Amino acid sequence: MNNYDFGSNKREKIVTLVIIGFILISIIQLFNMQILQNEAYVVKANENSIKPIYQIAPRGVFYDREHKILVGNKPTFTLRITPADYDKRLNPYLEAILNVKPGYIDKILKQTQNYSRYIPRRIAKDVPYDVIAWYEENASKLPGVDYVIETQRDYSYGVMGSHMFGYTKEIPPEILQKRKNEYMMGDEIGYVGIEKSYEDLLRGEKGVKYVLVDSRQKIIGSYEDGKKDKKSIKGCDLILSIDKDAQLAAELAFKDKRGAVVALDPSTGEILAFLSSPQYDLSELAAVTSGEAWKRLNLDENRPLFNRATMSMYSPGSTFKMVSAIAALEEGIIDSNYRSFCGGGFQFGNRFFKCLHVHGSIDLESSIEKSCNTFYYQLALKIGIDRWSKYAKKLGFGKKTGVDISEESAGIVPTKEYYDKEFGKDKWPKGILVSLGIGQGELSVTPIQLAQYAALIANYGKTAKPHFLKGYVETKTGRYVETKPEYIETGISRKTFEIIRRAMFKVVNGAGTATNIRMPDIEIAGKTGTAQNPHGKDHAIFIGFAPYKNPKIAIAVVVENAGFGSVNAAPIARDIIKAYLKKEKINIEKPIYLSKLEIKEARNEN
Amino acid sequence: MKIEYRLQDKFDLTIFISVMLLMAIGLAAIYSSTVNHPTASGNFYKQLFFIIISLILFFIIYSLPQQTFKKFAIPTYLFSIFLLILVLAIGKSVYGSKSWLDFGPIGFQPSEFAKIGTILCLSYWLTYKERDINNLFDVGIALFIGFTPVILILLEPDTGTSIVFAIITIFLIFWSGITLFGLFVVLSPAVVTVASMFGTIMFIFSLIGVVIALFLFKRDLFNSIIVFVINLGASFFFDYVYKILKPHQQKRIAAFLDPMSDPLGSGYNALQAKLAIGSGGLFGKGFMQGNQTQLRFIPEQWTDFIYCVIGEEFGFVGSVIVLILFLIIFIRLLKLTSLAKDRFSILVIAGFLCLLFSHFAINIGMNLGLTPVIGLPLPFMSYGGSSLISNMILLGIVFNIYKNRKLHT
Repeated sequence: MNNYDFGSNKREKIVTLVIIGFILISIIQLFNMQILQNEAYVVKANENSIKPIYQIAPRGVFYDREHKILVGNKPTFTLRITPADYDKRLNPYLEAILNVKPGYIDKILKQTQNYSRYIPRRIAKDVPYDVIAWYEENASKLPGVDYVIETQRDYSYGVMGSHMFGYTKEIPPEILQKRKNEYMMGDEIGYVGIEKSYEDLLRGEKGVKYVLVDSRQKIIGSYEDGKKDKKSIKGCDLILSIDKDAQLAAELAFKDKRGAVVALDPSTGEILAFLSSPQYDLSELAAVTSGEAWKRLNLDENRPLFNRATMSMYSPGSTFKMVSAIAALEEGIIDSNYRSFCGGGFQFGNRFFKCLHVHGSIDLESSIEKSCNTFYYQLALKIGIDRWSKYAKKLGFGKKTGVDISEESAGIVPTKEYYDKEFGKDKWPKGILVSLGIGQGELSVTPIQLAQYAALIANYGKTAKPHFLKGYVETKTGRYVETKPEYIETGISRKTFEIIRRAMFKVVNGAGTATNIRMPDIEIAGKTGTAQNPHGKDHAIFIGFAPYKNPKIAIAVVVENAGFGSVNAAPIARDIIKAYLKKEKINIEKPIYLSKLEIKEARNEN
Repeated sequence: MKIEYRLQDKFDLTIFISVMLLMAIGLAAIYSSTVNHPTASGNFYKQLFFIIISLILFFIIYSLPQQTFKKFAIPTYLFSIFLLILVLAIGKSVYGSKSWLDFGPIGFQPSEFAKIGTILCLSYWLTYKERDINNLFDVGIALFIGFTPVILILLEPDTGTSIVFAIITIFLIFWSGITLFGLFVVLSPAVVTVASMFGTIMFIFSLIGVVIALFLFKRDLFNSIIVFVINLGASFFFDYVYKILKPHQQKRIAAFLDPMSDPLGSGYNALQAKLAIGSGGLFGKGFMQGNQTQLRFIPEQWTDFIYCVIGEEFGFVGSVIVLILFLIIFIRLLKLTSLAKDRFSILVIAGFLCLLFSHFAINIGMNLGLTPVIGLPLPFMSYGGSSLISNMILLGIVFNIYKNRKLHT
C-alpha cells in the first residue's frame, strides 16, 4: 500500500492548526467588535431601535417691501400609505374618495418601491376635510393608511409670481449626495427662483421626536421621556423688495399676453416688479401630482415654465439706440450739436437700410425722441464695433446681472472676435455694424438687463445689482438683517447721461414715440422699441423711468408678438409706474413698521 | 475474560458535556429571541422536544453493535440519494428552496439525513481493502459519491449545505493520504472556477498558475493535459450551473464576490448581526435585554443567527465560552481519530469533525462578518430538528466507535 499518508501526524497537525487558527481569528474579531469598537456599535444599534420622527419646519414667509404677505404657509392634511401594512385592494376606494384616476395609487407606490416598505408614502397633499372625516370613520378598515398635518405653501395672497418665487421639490438624488449631512431622502428643497436662492434661510430646522420602535417600525414608546426631542424652527421670513401693487398691476396687464416685466429701484437695485408671462400656478405644483401637471406645463407651446424675464433673449431694437449715443458722446465722436440727415433711409453698399420716416436734418436728442434709424446707421459706422461693444458691456449687456435667482442668461453682445470667428478674420460684412446701430442683428438681451440699463440711465450711471431680497428676519433672534446693495458704476460722465435723459424725457413728454403715456402728475422718461422677430410678429419693448427728476422706478417691458412698443408696451409700463408711485407718495414718510411682524428693530451694525 | 471499563473509557464525557452545554446555551438564546415573537413563540418548546428526541436516538445508536454502520453504509447512502431526488420532485418550498419533505405533521430536510449516508459511504469506499487513494479512478469514484449530493442539493437550491458536502468529500480524500499532486488535481478546478467568477483576467491568470504548477510537478505530458482540461471543463461547467441558478442564488454569489452589491438583502442581515454582537460589550446586555434581539432586527434570528443573540446578551465572555466549547469538541474528536482501531472508523470521525467544523466556521464567520452570508445552522445551538437530529445520530456513531475501540472483531 502506498497510501502511507493515511491520517498522518502531519495532516492532523494541519487540521489542528486550521481549527485553532479560525477560533483565534474569531476571538480577535469578537474582541475588536465587542471591546475595542463597542461604543460605535452601541451607537449604531441604538440608532436602529431609537427612531427619530422628524417634523418638517414651516418655510419662511415672503413679505413684500411693505410687509404685505406674498407667499404664506397653511396647515394641510396629507394622506399617506405604508406599503408594509397596506392592501392594494383598497386602491379603488381611496381613488374614488380622492377623486383621482384609477391607477394613481399604484403609480405612486411603484415610483417609491425602492424605499423601505415601512416608510409611509405621501399619496395626496392638501386633502379636503371631508376625506379626512371619511378616513376617521373607516380607519379600522384601512390598514396602512394614515394622515398627518403638514404645512404647505399658501399662494392665496393674490400675487402669482411663479417665476420669481419658484417652487420646492423633493430633493433629487444628485443633490442629496452632495448635501448628505443637511438633508434626508424625501425632504423638500427649493428648486427654482427665490425658494432655491434662499433655501438655507427659508428651510428652518427640522424638529425631531425620538421613539422606540421594533424592527417592523412599530412604535413601542417614547425615548427617555422625550428629553432629547427638539421642536422644529420655522425658516426665516424674507422681506422682498417687490411692491405688491406694482406686481399686481404687472400681472393684470399681462393676463392675456406673453412677455416679461422687470421694474427696479434705480438707486438700490431692488426689484419692484418681476413677471414672466404666461405664468404657472404654484399651488398646483405644491400638491402631490402624478406628473400630469408637469407634463402639461412642459408640453405647453407658450413655455410657461421658462423664465422670460431673466432667460429669454430678445433683440432690444430701438431701445439700444442710447448705447450708440452714449458711446459716440463719450468717445468724443460727436457732441450734442452734431446733426445728421435722414432721407428715409441709408444706402450702404448695395443695401438700403430703411427709416420709418423722413426726418431731414436731425440732432442727437431728436434722434432718440423720434427714433430715427438713419442717424444711428451712420453713427454706428463712425463708432466701430470695438467701441460699440465696449459701451454695451459697460451698460450691463452681454453678462449676467447676477440677480439673486439662478435662472439667468448672459445675452449676446457681438464683438470683433465674435464676427471674426463667424466669417473669418476681417471678412465680415460691415452692414452688420449698421444693423447693430439700431439694436438689430446678433445682439440679444434679457428683460432684466434692459431694466438695469434703464436704471443706469435714470441714475446717471450708478445703480446696484438687481435683487429681490431686501432683508430677512432671523427666526431665533427676531433680528432684522438687511441686504447691502452691491453698487455698480459705469464710469460714464454725468453730462452724457443728462443729454440722454433729456432725450428720453421728450420721448414721452415732447413730440416723441410714446406721448400716448404722458401723465399730468408723473413725469416719465423712456424709449420705445420694436424688436424684429424671425418667428412671427415683432415684439414690443419699452424701457423707462420715473419720476424724471428723482427716479424711483426704472422699468423694462417686453410684450411678445405685439407690434409697436409705443402702443403695446409703454402703457403697461405706465400702469406699473403709476401703481408704484401713487402709493409711494403716501408711504414715503412713513417709518418701516416692523413691529407688525413682531420684528425687533434691527441693530444698526455699521 | 471480560475487561472492566470505567465510564470514561466507554463514554466520552468531555464531548458529551460540551455538547449538552452548547444545547443549553442555544436553548436560552432561542427562548430569548422567540418568547415575545408573535409567530415563533413556541420554538423553545419545540427545540426542547427535538433535543429529547435526538438524545434518545443518540443513545439508541450508541448501543448498536459496532459493525452495523459499515454494513449499512451503502444502503443508507443510496436511500439518502433517493430522498434528495424525491425532495426535488415533491418537496415543500421554504424561503425559495425546495428542501423539505413533509409527512403529515412531521417534516425534515433530506440533505441533513444525507450527511450521515455520505460520510458513511465515503468512509467505506475510501478504506475498502486495497484502495489506492492516488489512483485516478478510485478518487474519481470518491468524488462521484461526494458530489452527487452536492449537485442535488444545489438544485434545491441550498448553497450552504452543498458547500459543506463538497468540503467533507475533499477533506476525507485529503485525510486518506492523497499526495500533494493528487490534492492539486482535486482542488485546482475549484480554484480556477472561483477565479473565473472574478472575470476573464483572473480566470486566465489562474490557468497560467495551473500550467506553472503542472510544470513544477514534473508529470508527463498526457497527465498534465488531462489535468488542464479538467480545470478548463470545471469552470465552464460552473458557468453553465450559474446560469441555471435561481436569481436569489446568483445574487448571493454576486454578494459573495462584492458584499456591497446587495446592501439591503443579505447585507442587511450581516450588518444587523454585527451590530448585535458589537453592541454586546464585555458582559453583554443581559438575558432578554438585547434590543437588537428583542426588537427583532434580524429575521429568523433563532436559526442561522443564533450566535449574535449570545453575542448581544452574553457579550464577549459568553461568545468566547461558546467558541471554547466548540474547540474542546473539535480537539477531542481529532484525538479520537487516533484512538479508533480501524480506518473506516477513523474516517467517520474525521468526516463528522469536518461536518461540525465547516458548519461552525461558516456560521460564526457570517455572524462576525468575516465571511459572506451563507445560510447554515450552528451545530447543537440553532433552532431546527433535522440538523440537530442528524448531528446527534453522527455523534452516536462516533461514541459507538469509541465504546468499541478496544474490542476485537
